[in-house]
Amino acid sequence: MKKVMLPLAVAASAVLALSACSGSGSDNTSAAGGDGASKHVSLTFWHGYTEADGKVLDQIVDDFNKSQDQVTITDVTKTWADIGDTLLTSLSAKTGPDLVALPAENLPIYASKGAFQKLDDFYDSDETKGASLNEQAVSMEKVDGSYYGVPTGFVPLSVIYNKKLFAAAGISAFPTTWDEWVADAKKLTKDADGDGTPEQYGLALPDHATVGNGVWPSLFYGGGGGLVDDSGHSVIDSDANVKTLTYWADAVRKDHISPTGLDGVKSDGLFSSGKAAMEIGGPWMAGVAADNKIDYGIAGVPGGSAGPAASAIGISAGVTVQADADQKAAAEKFFAYFFSQDVATKWSLGSGWPPLRTDIPASAVSSNPVVKALTGIAGTARPLLPGVANSVDVLAAVDEATQKALTGGDPAELLKAASATASQALSE
Amino acid sequence: MLPALVILGAFVFWPMLAALRLSFTESSGFGPSRWVGLANYSTIFHDPKILKTLGITAMYAVMFTPTAIIVALLFALVLTNKALIGRGAFRTALFLPFIVSMAVAAFAWSYLLDPQLGLLNYWLSNVGIHLGNVLQDPRLALPTVVVVAVWKSFGFYMVVFIAGLQQIPEDLYEAARIDGAGRWRRFVYVTVPQLSTTFAFVVVFATIAALQAFDQIYVMTGGGPYRHTQTVVAEIYSQGFKKLDLGLASAISYVLLLITLVLSLVQFRFFGRHEKDVVG
Repeated sequence: MKKVMLPLAVAASAVLALSACSGSGSDNTSAAGGDGASKHVSLTFWHGYTEADGKVLDQIVDDFNKSQDQVTITDVTKTWADIGDTLLTSLSAKTGPDLVALPAENLPIYASKGAFQKLDDFYDSDETKGASLNEQAVSMEKVDGSYYGVPTGFVPLSVIYNKKLFAAAGISAFPTTWDEWVADAKKLTKDADGDGTPEQYGLALPDHATVGNGVWPSLFYGGGGGLVDDSGHSVIDSDANVKTLTYWADAVRKDHISPTGLDGVKSDGLFSSGKAAMEIGGPWMAGVAADNKIDYGIAGVPGGSAGPAASAIGISAGVTVQADADQKAAAEKFFAYFFSQDVATKWSLGSGWPPLRTDIPASAVSSNPVVKALTGIAGTARPLLPGVANSVDVLAAVDEATQKALTGGDPAELLKAASATASQALSE
Repeated sequence: MLPALVILGAFVFWPMLAALRLSFTESSGFGPSRWVGLANYSTIFHDPKILKTLGITAMYAVMFTPTAIIVALLFALVLTNKALIGRGAFRTALFLPFIVSMAVAAFAWSYLLDPQLGLLNYWLSNVGIHLGNVLQDPRLALPTVVVVAVWKSFGFYMVVFIAGLQQIPEDLYEAARIDGAGRWRRFVYVTVPQLSTTFAFVVVFATIAALQAFDQIYVMTGGGPYRHTQTVVAEIYSQGFKKLDLGLASAISYVLLLITLVLSLVQFRFFGRHEKDVVG
């Protein structure tokens, strides 16, 4: 018997890890909140704004708490990855947040599985209708015809570049087309010892797990392609995408403008260490570059045959199933405050993200050069897979194709396989 | 006995039963779950991606278990040699990686192995060796995470072997020497049989550790490149926490439990019989 029990007990740990999540989840009772409008309501708000943007958000929450006496929000800063790892278990155990911000492409899966409450009433209110919210940003909050979140950030991917390396290579203006971009990247790639492994790369081009999963969608858009059409079908294997992937695979494999096997984090590391002259990233890279004493510039992603286009990084905030009716109402009160013109302007200036209201003029945020630059290219932004619940599978299929193509695979065959996988995921 | 049973019941058996129930449902952890019978188990055996994770886990176990045991045994043999000066310091140094968190060790190795910024690549490139991006190479990623796991854990198995070696009566070796047995024959006919119980413990634990490989894969490769290091536990995590399919994740957990249990019983039976042969 002992011989049975020992392996049983040890082997059971994998099962136990899962069983921590096996709460019924059907009881929506909350420890906080009240049953009347006059009662004080407390909310816990998780978010992953860990840089300067986090401090601004803390201040906004603090200002909101002081602006009235019915609602108190306690915000908790975590990493985005930590939120992804702990949201499920914490909500199952009824110890999760009432309000949570997370990458917008993850919202549909949580919404479709019942983790978030519908916010249609919030969007129907006159106050929200009058807020002139960015329609592209709001489109990422819609799943199966209902709204499940509000945007707290929406910014097109952009290129951050090292001005010192550009000057050393004799490049005076940032490229605007792919051909110019690759030509400049070649000039910026240095292999001084001639061993075939450059010491400096023109571009850090990740081939998987890219920033906001948006680098390759941006390139596909620029080449006239995309991932999913308006009717929700995969167009990953389109001729335009094949041409785009072939173009960039050649630039990496033949011209060595970027190392292969990079993910978004490794790309950040290459750029911030001065070993890559350009990187496709988000507004937070400005702070990282400044911390590393890099004289940086920010520009839009150069355009391919279809002109400039960029996948947007979106952050959504949703009200979880843990919140009761009073807490949901309190959360909506906070959203309305967050989208008021003054607060939205303050959030944009402090976070480095372009304004979420379209009626905030560029001049109102021009004092922050990062916001100014990003606001100037905001028109190129496209939401990434809005409303697609199985976005994880679609993006994983694209990652596999791009990673294999950059190491010598046939782009047409790889995209065909990726499209088949994505189609299956989209049909589920 | 009763307190132990209560604790086991509350923290082991009840959660296991809850996970078993979950494996027969479609559940995200939010809202009500739906009973689907054996559908999740059927999915496991019909989804080529999930089946591939079983193959990758088997490959991992085949690489990890013998390597960790052989390395541990070799170091144990060297470090029980009384002629070796500073044995205690060596033992401590080799055991140290075991007490480091796997996540920390994996982060450290990731940076060491980074092809552009890593120290290991830098040092080796000075002598003309270019490792390349081993963690994103589909041929080398799995062996690399196995090497990190071996580095991290062999110290523990080494200590167990040292304890086993110190229990072997010296007169057995003396008798073997009198019979003319050389170093190799003494190892094969005295040391190995006398260590059979230790071997049973180490093999079973190393196999179970291999079947549950996750931490360094999560940190170092994320299951990539394109799922070439996606082990069963990494798949359980992905299904449960990325796709919010707790029913399927629980079903995979139970399949892994069953495989682990069967393998462990077979190993115990094998070593138990071997032990009887030695004693008999």
